Amino acid sequence: MDYNDRVFASVFSVPSVSHTTPTPIATPDLGNAEPGESFGGGLFGGNLGNPQRKVKRNLAWSTATRFLSLPKGNHADTDPSNVENEERPNTAEVQDALEYLLVGDGKPEIFTEDNLLDWFIDEAQLHFATFARSEVEQWWNEEIPLEAAWDTLETTQRLLQHAQNVYLRPLAEHILPLLNDTVEPESRTLPPEYRVSERNNASRRFLSALHGAFVHSLPSQRFSKTLSYVLYDAGLKVFRIPKGKKNKVVANSAHEGSRRRMQDLLQGLDRVGLGGDKAQKSFAHAMDKLLDAFINSHYLRVDWHGKESELESLRMWISKAFIPLIELVNTCLRCHPTSLSAPEIQHWHDAALGRLGRAKVEYLFEYASDYHTSRGVLKTIKEYMKLPNAKQYLTTRFSEHVSRRLLSPGATTTYILDLYMCFIRTFLYLDPKGVLLERVARPIRRYLKEREDTARIIITSMLADAAAENNGKFSSAGDLSVEIATEMQRPITSFEHDVSQGLDWDNMNWQPSPTDAAPDYKQQKGHDIILFVLTLWERDDFINELKNILGDHLLRSQDPEYANEIRLLELIKVRLGDDKLQACEVMLRDVLESKRINSAIRAPIAQMRTPDNRALQAPGGPPRTPQPRQPVASIPSVPGLGTPLPKSSVDMTLNAHIISSFFWPSLRDDHFLIPAEVQNMQRDYESRFTHIKGRQKLQWKNALGDGSVALELDDRTEQFDGLMPWQVSVIYAFQPQPGEEWVGKGKGKGKELGISRNVEQLEEMLEMDEQLVRQALAFWVGKQILREMDHDTFAVIERLTSANMDTEAAAAAQELAEVQAQAQAGSVKSQHDLLQEKKDVYMTFITSMLTNQGNLPVQRIAMMMKIMVAGGFPFGPEEVTILLEELENEGKVIGIGGDIWGIKK
Amino acid sequence: MALSAGTRSNGGSANVAQRLQKELMDIMTHPTPGISAFPVDENMTSWAATIDGPADTPYAGLTFKLSMEFATTYPYTAPTVLFKTPIYHPNVDFSGRICLDILKEKWAATMSVSSVLLSLQSLLGEPNNSSPLNGQAAELWDKDMVEYKRLVIARHKNPEELET
Repeated sequence: MDYNDRVFASVFSVPSVSHTTPTPIATPDLGNAEPGESFGGGLFGGNLGNPQRKVKRNLAWSTATRFLSLPKGNHADTDPSNVENEERPNTAEVQDALEYLLVGDGKPEIFTEDNLLDWFIDEAQLHFATFARSEVEQWWNEEIPLEAAWDTLETTQRLLQHAQNVYLRPLAEHILPLLNDTVEPESRTLPPEYRVSERNNASRRFLSALHGAFVHSLPSQRFSKTLSYVLYDAGLKVFRIPKGKKNKVVANSAHEGSRRRMQDLLQGLDRVGLGGDKAQKSFAHAMDKLLDAFINSHYLRVDWHGKESELESLRMWISKAFIPLIELVNTCLRCHPTSLSAPEIQHWHDAALGRLGRAKVEYLFEYASDYHTSRGVLKTIKEYMKLPNAKQYLTTRFSEHVSRRLLSPGATTTYILDLYMCFIRTFLYLDPKGVLLERVARPIRRYLKEREDTARIIITSMLADAAAENNGKFSSAGDLSVEIATEMQRPITSFEHDVSQGLDWDNMNWQPSPTDAAPDYKQQKGHDIILFVLTLWERDDFINELKNILGDHLLRSQDPEYANEIRLLELIKVRLGDDKLQACEVMLRDVLESKRINSAIRAPIAQMRTPDNRALQAPGGPPRTPQPRQPVASIPSVPGLGTPLPKSSVDMTLNAHIISSFFWPSLRDDHFLIPAEVQNMQRDYESRFTHIKGRQKLQWKNALGDGSVALELDDRTEQFDGLMPWQVSVIYAFQPQPGEEWVGKGKGKGKELGISRNVEQLEEMLEMDEQLVRQALAFWVGKQILREMDHDTFAVIERLTSANMDTEAAAAAQELAEVQAQAQAGSVKSQHDLLQEKKDVYMTFITSMLTNQGNLPVQRIAMMMKIMVAGGFPFGPEEVTILLEELENEGKVIGIGGDIWGIKK
Repeated sequence: MALSAGTRSNGGSANVAQRLQKELMDIMTHPTPGISAFPVDENMTSWAATIDGPADTPYAGLTFKLSMEFATTYPYTAPTVLFKTPIYHPNVDFSGRICLDILKEKWAATMSVSSVLLSLQSLLGEPNNSSPLNGQAAELWDKDMVEYKRLVIARHKNPEELET
């Protein structure tokens, strides 16, 4: 369009400056002849007005469209306000044409004639597709890197906004003002942009069509993800959540900035039609992740051990920060309503709690292990358990942890027990009814039952002195569960057996079992943690084990009052009932009674002997056994022994434990001779005892007990306490025998080594097992009292000089002695010993059973043994099979196949 | 009334079981060759016993099975003892019932399973022919030991044959 044309056009009415003149001016459109009508007939017929209107409309259309058509080319960089004004003078002609087409006679007839608005929409879309779209697309063709997300979105928004402005301008300036702006009455109450009027409808139609084009120009998937990330990122900044591992704390100003930036972006996007459902979806996604990020960063950091629940602060955050953010975004995206309803807010709270809870449950194992310091977390978890499915999730996850981390061969029984105690406490706190505990404890209990040392550790721990333990005396000794010991220190809670179990009709506090309880759930009155431990086994099995350990313990206990033991018995009695604990009570009474008897017996002796050395031994009279009384006395000996000085009268005292063999577990009974002096004292004691107790007789158990000796050597005197009887016997054997002249006595002052003996001699002298002799010798070598002169020959070190001080050998021997002593430690017989010892009886049992009952399977034999053997048969099918195989070797029985055995004919 | 009676009888059978368990332990710890006894099942009140025929008697080399039933009044009443293995003997009838004074009027609470079995074992070698349940046997014992022995062998069955 050159300048001349424009001048011309301003003077004359030229329909078009650049285009050809529309047809109708030159050649009127006569229309088509109807079938049967003569050509041209229609021109003067009834529809005379039509052709004229068409012509006129055509003309106006041409003028209007020419005016409205958008400039070609990409105008993204130019200011839209310049474009049209200069080039498209809004002439009266154009104005007429527009009016005619939009509101005048030329208003399109529906369905048949083109609508100017539609045309403009097409024009805008076409224009966008042709010129602007490629520019937008180039931003989206590739994966958007996270860092570029903001920029990409902002640029896109700008581009689209610009395009939109360009397109809107002609519409707003030339078309809309002509349209009727009367608002329909029923929509008056709506906000301005939603009111229904011709003008509004037109602009809405245009925008929605245009926005459709915009949306289609972007890859939708990529767009939502990017938007979602941007929102998430904005959220992180707004809440100052450190991103990733960088832990970069966002500066204060930045977070206000981010909020504004996000707000601007969202509003902008909404203006170009990229808000709406899609953006809301992205937003929801972002909020979801944001919640996780917030919880992870704020509540899962090192501070596990708060005493207060973090829940309050989380709630606060949700209400005061999170919800407002959502509302802000809603406002930007023009959602209705912008504020959240109460159920929605509650939903967010629950979602947050659920996440926090689940995250915490992952660490419940640790929290429970450190029960005392994890109160706060447990409060949170307790709160979390109110949500649906939470309990299920919790028990499942926890059990997984337990079975993977705890119930493995690598964990010591003590460790498992300690944690078990912690778990009991934790879960009783979480769920006082105990349903959860039952669920998670089951596998642990089953596992503990399989471990052989469980009962021993429990009982030893119960007897242990927790106070001493806290001082680190036992520390990680391995055999004591600190938790149990500590628990025992607590006051005994009154404990009633709930016998009635719901049959007590007068109980107004009765409550039904929880709905999620297992069928065998028992309602507990009060929670007794020790009881959980005690009920690991069948009562009888437990009591048997208790007997063994208690026996051992009583014999060694240094506490003259036996306070711990008495207390333990009381505790167990309350819980398990006292009918089965008779034996334990007798044992306890035995040791207490022994003390009394000792002092009664010693009274006359004391005048003759000084009570320097202490021997303890025990005979026992079984008061209630109907059999002939066979008291078992365990004897220890205490010689005060001076190797070089064959004193005829040594200062000695003898204390005994008098125990009733019938009630005590089988005790060790190694045979050896004890020093003659001690034997004399035993006889003395016996006679006095008989005097006091009438016809009861004592039977000494020399292997038990302990002794103290003082060794007077040439250059030193050594005092030893708590020695094993055989150690005493062995060192005493180094006393010169009558008739054996001790060379050192008169003249040999210069001699360094005293009497020497060899192993064989000692075995003979003491009638002692070689093993014990060697063990005792090793002990004394370790103490630098003896020295191995020659192979198997030992001599007393009378004088400790550097020449004979072989520290290394002594240390080695000491170590050896300790190892051996440990192996020998128990005064109660071990399972294996017991089996060997009773083997004959058991084998008689088995043969009698097979003789009289015919062939039987191993299982059945073991079961019958358990029932029939008085005092219990603490073994299982494995041991029975061992016995059967031994019998088979002797030719007495025969395996018939399967597990069936019979008498060999 | 019913309740207390029940309690008493329960207590009674518990005592019996205790006493019998003790006897069982005695037998097991001091087994007597040629004699063995064992409860049939968990409740201890019925036992199976086995005795070997004493050497130098017509019963030498034979094994006899017996059943013993203990009443709740045991040990104040004698157990009911029957030969399960068919035996030809003056004091045992063909259904295995035994005529022996200590199982009847001479029973005493101090006796035990093992003393009963020992008595029965010696009864095999020294029948009391003055009050026979099996007259023919009593007669043959005195008159024709060879025939007697033949009849003993003929009547005896091994435990395996019994069970089938």
